[in-house]
Amino acid sequence: MAYDVNGTAVEHDEEGYITNLGEWSKELADVIAKAEEIEMDEEHWAVVNFLRDYYEEYQIAPAVRVLIKSIKKSMGPEVGNNKYMYELFPYGPAKQACKIAGLPKPTGCV
Amino acid sequence: MAPLDNNEPRKIGDPLKIPQIECGAMADTNTFAAAPEHNEPLGFPGELLENWKEVAIAKIGELADKNRAFRVYLDTCVKCGACTDKCHYFLGTGDPKNMPVARQDLLRSVYRRYYTFAGKYFPWLVGARDLTKEVLDEWYTYYHQCSQCRRCSVACPYGIDTAEISMAAREVLDSVGMGQKYCNEIIAKLKKTGNNLGMNPKALRATLEDLEEDLEDETGIAVKIPLDVKGADILLITPSADFFAEPHIDGLLGYAKVFHAAGVSWTISSYASEAANFGMFIGSYENMREVSWRIRQAAKDLGVKRIVFGECGHAWRVGYSFLNTLAGPFDFLDQNYPIPQHIMEFTSDAIDDGLLKIDKSRNDEFVMTFHDSCNVARGSAMGRQEGGQFDLPRKVLKAVCNHYHDMERDTIRENTFCCGGGGGLLTDDLMDLRIKGAKPRMNALQQVTEDHGVTHMAAICAICKTQFSKVMPKFGYEMDNIMSVHQLVANAVILDGQEDEADQAKAEETP
Amino acid sequence: MISTVYAVLFYVATLMMVVGTGMKVLKYARTSAPLKIPVSPAPRTKRGVWFRMAREVVLFESLFKSNKWIWLFAYLFHFGMLLVLLRHFRYFQMEIWWWVELVQPFGKYASFAMLAGLIGLLIRRIFQQRIRYISAPSDYLMLALLLLIAVSGTMMTFVSKVDIISVKAFMLGLLRFRIETMPVEPVLLIHLGSVALLMIIFPISKLMHAPGLFFSPSRTQVDNAREFRHLSAWAAQLPDLPEGIPAPEEKK
Repeated sequence: MAYDVNGTAVEHDEEGYITNLGEWSKELADVIAKAEEIEMDEEHWAVVNFLRDYYEEYQIAPAVRVLIKSIKKSMGPEVGNNKYMYELFPYGPAKQACKIAGLPKPTGCV
Repeated sequence: MAPLDNNEPRKIGDPLKIPQIECGAMADTNTFAAAPEHNEPLGFPGELLENWKEVAIAKIGELADKNRAFRVYLDTCVKCGACTDKCHYFLGTGDPKNMPVARQDLLRSVYRRYYTFAGKYFPWLVGARDLTKEVLDEWYTYYHQCSQCRRCSVACPYGIDTAEISMAAREVLDSVGMGQKYCNEIIAKLKKTGNNLGMNPKALRATLEDLEEDLEDETGIAVKIPLDVKGADILLITPSADFFAEPHIDGLLGYAKVFHAAGVSWTISSYASEAANFGMFIGSYENMREVSWRIRQAAKDLGVKRIVFGECGHAWRVGYSFLNTLAGPFDFLDQNYPIPQHIMEFTSDAIDDGLLKIDKSRNDEFVMTFHDSCNVARGSAMGRQEGGQFDLPRKVLKAVCNHYHDMERDTIRENTFCCGGGGGLLTDDLMDLRIKGAKPRMNALQQVTEDHGVTHMAAICAICKTQFSKVMPKFGYEMDNIMSVHQLVANAVILDGQEDEADQAKAEETP
Repeated sequence: MISTVYAVLFYVATLMMVVGTGMKVLKYARTSAPLKIPVSPAPRTKRGVWFRMAREVVLFESLFKSNKWIWLFAYLFHFGMLLVLLRHFRYFQMEIWWWVELVQPFGKYASFAMLAGLIGLLIRRIFQQRIRYISAPSDYLMLALLLLIAVSGTMMTFVSKVDIISVKAFMLGLLRFRIETMPVEPVLLIHLGSVALLMIIFPISKLMHAPGLFFSPSRTQVDNAREFRHLSAWAAQLPDLPEGIPAPEEKK
């Protein structure tokens, strides 16, 4: 199982999360997003970039609430709310956005 | 993956309606298999053993010798059929192998073949069969379509508990290297980081500080969510979903407000930052013990006097029924309080003692009902009275909400339906099963929505909350129509010194 | 000759049932229950558990709550059988106890309740889709065997009477290890033969549900895990786990 990024194969698991986090690139994010039927725009990227920064710092994705609070600060309350996040990422900002951002899937009862 | 809300909402039906059987309906529904790196940290072989057959048969014998329930339940079933219409997965799928007795028979048939006289010499007579790879695969399929909710056990004249058989079957599967990814990956993660999420102490601290900020913004009061505070009175053990997901987090804020209002000192532990214990789902006493033991270690290390559990269904079963066995004796804690105690017991007492100032009208926008979580309902208790696990949450809800209605009697309390995601099935690869398994509960909810205008359902289990937030849109609800009980508590509690104009206006109205 | 065969058969059957069931029960009793798993809401005291079990045994409470039809047929059968069995005491007593005397007329007609229950259960097993699915040949045969016993017994009471004095003499003889002559009536031979068969298969069949109920942890355990530490023998032998918390890993 692998994504094809301009001819380079990037391995992913059964659910589409990449196995080697170091292999992430913006191009790959576009490829994953396409597989998820998402058209990446500025707002998607804001989320993905925040997730990656947060992960860099804490080795885990942020709680949805933390994510929304931050997006609210940077992009305003029209974007920074739960409903809009689900419009951006219909399968959930935590799981789907993490997948596109190349982070491991949040596990547990979430 | 398809978004959840692009289908027509499913229509109201009788939650107890029994489907026609449809052989093989769910035969192809399989959960992802664990990789070696998920199995090995739990002490299981990484991949399917070459001599899996001998190992599996020996394991069955070992379990029959070590667990009375397993042995007695395999022997005593008379196939009366009373359980056949009790499983929510059967009601939702019609697959006959999801009838509790048929699910048990998948393993019972093999046990009979190798361990009973009748099965050894007259296998055709008693439905005994050889263990083959097909049988093993069938176990993997159908023992991962059981949420171990025990609804069938209530119905059985002998109390035969399919959960016990299902746990044993998973233990056998694990012992030959056929673990389930969802459960085993999570247990491995917990052993490393202290919680199912894999959230390290630094991230946990940052999250809690963020939530403290939210609380202060809301109330104007510095309500603390302490982490690793030595010498605190209470150690809160709560599911890590309470640090991450919605509406779980709102529940955590509720605990914080209650503790604050009650004036007790409390703390969360980063070492035991998880109430959930997936060791139970896979039937592994050793893993369950290891996970439970962390709570003991944390309690000792922090020098607390009491342990309180947050809203988590199976965790409370482990906490209430097993913790003393697995990690006791807790002679170093304050014996004047139950060990452990449920947050619902704590809040209920706080209400009785008049420690909480409550404005019920703050929840007036909600017409509530309560979903009894299966493990709390049938595997634990609360308070001093029999049935307290049903009465206490309702009492607390009614204390903080003006509008409350119960769902149909045969779908609540000891007859409650599992949410459809319990027992280690709360994984995306089983979404189809989860939606079908949620149907009986959703139908019961739709009934009270129709009859009483119920808008929201509250639960005290992290799995239930996540499951419902995912499947409710399939049944015509919004994802936030599921709430934490302590979320409603948080809404209604007014802390000392917390006043806004609305409150003052109201205070002047009512003398 | 036939008397000897039946005498031997009954000694063997009794031995198999008593020893076989005894061994199984002993095994149940000796197998530990590692965890407290009463299905709640469960009684918090031993006395409460006694009461719960009494309701299960006398009223089939759980079955009543879960399925009224099965409960009705099972109840008719079991309590019909109980009365019939009590009535049979007279064949083993020189001096018949007063209450055995008292139960005679009831026991006589209870056989019809027993039959009705068995037929009801059989019909359900054959025609109810879900129960048919879970039935093995032995499940039908067990009902057939019980029906055979009940029909042959009822026939001897109401249709073709046998020389009951000789039967009683034969039974009393067995109790004293003497083989008396029994009447050679086909219906009697069928009745006694099928009863002996039932006794023989008791410990190796689902009939073990009768003693099994008393060893079902989900029903017999007291709900007091927080107050009293429950620990099984094998679990007590597990290696100790560390008491302190390991120092946090160095962060790079």
